[in-house]
Amino acid sequence: MPRTLNTLAERAAAATPQAVARRVRGLSDRAVAWAFISPTIVLLLAINIFPLVWTIWLSFTNYRANRPNAPVRWIGGDWYTDILTNPDIWVAMQVTARFVIASIAIQTVLGFTLAWLIDRRFRGHGVWTTVILLPMMLSPAVVGNFWTFLYQPQIGLFNYMVSFVTGVPPSSFQMLGDVTLSPWAIVIVDTWMWTPYVMLICVAGLRSIPEHIYEAAEIDRASAWRRFWSITLPMALPFIMLAVLFRGIENFKMFDMVNLLTGGGPGSTTEVASITLKREAFEKWRTGYSSAFAIILFVTVFGLANIYVKALNRVKQR
Amino acid sequence: MAEVRLEGVTKRFGATVAVADLTLPVGDGEFVVLLGPTGAGKSTTLRLVAGLERADAGRVLIGGRDVTRAPPVERDVAFVFQQFALYPHLSVYDNLAFPLRAPARRTPADVVDRKVREVAALLRIESKLANRATQLSGGQMQRVAIGRALVRSPAVYLMDEPLSSLDAKLRAELRLELQRIQRDLGATILYVTHDQTEAMTMATRIGVMDRGRLVQLGTPRQIYEDPDDTYVATRLGQPAINLLPARLFEGTPMPRGTATVGARTEHLRITRATKGHAAGRVRWIEHLGDQNHLHIDVGAHKIVTLAEPDAGIDVGDPVDLALVGALWFDAAGARIRAGA
Repeated sequence: MPRTLNTLAERAAAATPQAVARRVRGLSDRAVAWAFISPTIVLLLAINIFPLVWTIWLSFTNYRANRPNAPVRWIGGDWYTDILTNPDIWVAMQVTARFVIASIAIQTVLGFTLAWLIDRRFRGHGVWTTVILLPMMLSPAVVGNFWTFLYQPQIGLFNYMVSFVTGVPPSSFQMLGDVTLSPWAIVIVDTWMWTPYVMLICVAGLRSIPEHIYEAAEIDRASAWRRFWSITLPMALPFIMLAVLFRGIENFKMFDMVNLLTGGGPGSTTEVASITLKREAFEKWRTGYSSAFAIILFVTVFGLANIYVKALNRVKQR
Repeated sequence: MAEVRLEGVTKRFGATVAVADLTLPVGDGEFVVLLGPTGAGKSTTLRLVAGLERADAGRVLIGGRDVTRAPPVERDVAFVFQQFALYPHLSVYDNLAFPLRAPARRTPADVVDRKVREVAALLRIESKLANRATQLSGGQMQRVAIGRALVRSPAVYLMDEPLSSLDAKLRAELRLELQRIQRDLGATILYVTHDQTEAMTMATRIGVMDRGRLVQLGTPRQIYEDPDDTYVATRLGQPAINLLPARLFEGTPMPRGTATVGARTEHLRITRATKGHAAGRVRWIEHLGDQNHLHIDVGAHKIVTLAEPDAGIDVGDPVDLALVGALWFDAAGARIRAGA
């Protein structure tokens, strides 16, 4: 049919009420498409792109947000060299790395184990899946709040449960105030909250393995352990790696839980990179400095994620 | 190689009876094909022999040993799945080696290597040994699946419609190959299919199944020429046998009680009606190159038969039918074997 889209649009425009028609008539399909997506693009630019570009610019200046009227001077890469040679920053990165590695390791093992158990499809597994998912549904602020109560040495449930199991007196240790225990306090809360997430992704991975592969292995006289090691794990590996990627990026940036539970303390023992960033930006008001640090963190995550995704794609090639 | 016997085996899935009181002897070195439509219980029977399903009643014997309660690992069977079921994350070599490496008593690495290469050569896939199992064509994947069964030299091979996912040309090639392998190895094979060509060309005996029951067991010749009922008669023959009411052939002598006449192409003589009232009229002709399928209307009934391309019969021609040694069935569909 020799009808162009423009003609269709014009006919549709001709059929609309007078007032609307006057505005709409003559608008090409392309113009209408732009009209639909422009609010989203404006929002994206305003909230994502503009702040990023602005931060990059700020990182090369000496701007301080609490002195808006002071003269703004371009100082080039001074902040960057400052940060990369500052030993305190490296300590913060180490704390972050240790936290990320510990929490990811525990969550992955626990998450996969739970996923494997759920995949046995025992009676009532649907109910149990929902129960396990509940921690993930809660708001981090709420979680941080009530875990602070749970961690109270005298009245908190956590110390009580530990003493119930190990016999150590409940007031003898303090999760949130102690130098060695505080990082583990955060790891525990993060694991409690996000293991269900890893579990979900692993369940998807396990369900993707067709039943007849297991049957073939059974016929080939592979033991249950052998089937798990040679079939289940390798075939679920891409999904496990994906879960690790998501959790890794999230935990690298983690701010809310740490801030709520320990605020970075005691001292700097739980001062992860995001806490340092917050302190520099909103306590010391060194806006230019913290902008540079934010950019460095962004590039680090981006770079590491890129390397990881390449490895993931190679695994998925099979 | 060993014989397989199923004695009175029954398998239920909830309220459905998948296999009902099945007794099937498979001799050592025999190629038995289970033929039937979807839902006949063929695959379930195969899985019962493999140990992937547990029988509710009856016995399964392999090589004289009662394995009804035994898991697959103790049965020494190999299974070729319809969907290939290759291990996707392993290479072709590792797929073929898996059955030899998997069991508790491991085979030495050099023996594994020798057997894998032997089987790969037999199936002509040596050039693909390094490929990932998924980087193969359908025919190559099925060869690997068959190879994985061959590498073990089991007591019996179980094949569940292994050729149904392949195109016609590949199917023809692999049919010949499977027959060659069976002859060379003297293997006992229990083969499931709904394709009658595979059944006719490969089987030493065919077991026709219908809704969980074994209806007839016999050589392809017997099933084709001497079916026990109309159901079995319709299983083999291309085009399918024509089942017509007996009253259409009132002049022809037939046994008492005949209600249905089964006429294959070789039982029908079609001649162009030159004079007077004709029995039927040619409604349509399908030209297949080497032969024509004639679709003939006889009153309200339709007949499909073969004819030579140069038979001189065209669409719309009136034709006469003559019966030569047809099959007689009673009102219930059972075969009447008495002489006419």
